[in-house]
Amino acid sequence: MLNKKIKKLEIGYGKVNKVHIGENLPLVFLGGPCAIESRDHAFKMAELIGEICLKVGISWVYKSCYDKDCRSSPESFHGLGKDDGLTILSDIRTEFKVPVVSDFSDTAWAPATGEVCDMVQVPAYLCRQTSILRAAADTGRVIHLKKGQFMSPWNMKNSVRKIESFGNTQILLADRGTFMGYNSLVNDMTSFPIMQKTGYPVCFDATHSIQLPTSMGNISGGQREFIPFLVRAAVGCGINALFMEVHDNPKKALSDANTVLDIKYLKNILEQAVLMHQTRLEILDKYGEDNVHPQ
Amino acid sequence: MSTHSDQLEITKLMLTLENFPVITENTILKVALDEMDKFRLGVACIVDFKGQLLGIITDGDIRRKLSLVQKPLSFFFVDDVILHAIHNPVTIIKETSLTEATNLMYEKKIWDLPVIQDNHLIGLLHMHSVAHALINANH
Repeated sequence: MLNKKIKKLEIGYGKVNKVHIGENLPLVFLGGPCAIESRDHAFKMAELIGEICLKVGISWVYKSCYDKDCRSSPESFHGLGKDDGLTILSDIRTEFKVPVVSDFSDTAWAPATGEVCDMVQVPAYLCRQTSILRAAADTGRVIHLKKGQFMSPWNMKNSVRKIESFGNTQILLADRGTFMGYNSLVNDMTSFPIMQKTGYPVCFDATHSIQLPTSMGNISGGQREFIPFLVRAAVGCGINALFMEVHDNPKKALSDANTVLDIKYLKNILEQAVLMHQTRLEILDKYGEDNVHPQ
Repeated sequence: MSTHSDQLEITKLMLTLENFPVITENTILKVALDEMDKFRLGVACIVDFKGQLLGIITDGDIRRKLSLVQKPLSFFFVDDVILHAIHNPVTIIKETSLTEATNLMYEKKIWDLPVIQDNHLIGLLHMHSVAHALINANH
């Protein structure tokens, strides 16, 4: 199925614990609260998630955004803003030695985001915008490129090629679900091997995949009870990284309250994911790489 | 075949590089087809960055693939062209005689012959030019 070797990514500059994502490497976790809600909350979440990842034995990248520009309502919490948000992320890097990732929705925000963050994220809705992809590439950081809910996995090759043409070849492709009709998403698990054909590793965004986009009028709903099912399926399909937004009190979360994972479930799910990943590698080791070819 | 026709040089009859589709291996299939359509030819030559011929793709290859491919056309079209190419096409050199070239076309049932010099693609001999030249040579 694969026609190219999957590129190995190194995430982290300076004095953080560098994280490697790639073929036959241990699974990596990208996680944190959807939005930076406050300095204290961001630090608290970094500490709690860091402890869990240490116990599970999984490398991780702290994810939280400073400006959520795709909220359904103008009344919804947007975030602390670029300057305050990036200062907090920078301090979390220093305090916990963990690489950080945030998205950016405006080309003007990209340089500052890349200055601080070890990885920059391109939001799914913007995944084919040339100016955004150029701005992401120009940061020189690893790019977390989410597949738009409206995109086929094979057409993500076009976005990848745009980024490459701008001189950046450090890309992690993510699936966060695909629109099925209105206000509903499904996960096509074949998207992972298909997107890996671009030559880059892939990530599964579990918490956004169970989202019911804007299903509640002016906010999105979610079916978080399906997160463990989808995580096991995606890891079994060969993802290289797992993304989940995590909160210590989802009901009070200021962004994506209906989809974020309660942190009390995180250890259990990560342990399953790590075990599933190891088992998959053992299966491939025993039976060889998949060799069912198209006609 | 007349003696006259064998005095015709392949380089005078072949299409030069700017007059037929020459694409790189990572060109997507849809773009390759567009190039073939642009030049109204049923073949595209695939070269590396040095201009060395890596393979060719033809209308016939696409036709055969279409009857076998089990994925959406939008998926098929975004494939790198090299995935569907013939890697060892029949080629000629500029010193090949027109008789030899014409016989090759007849025997292999093909319409086009890439012309190679020092491993580099320098042109494409198309049946139209050959037929036209032969008719003129015999008059």
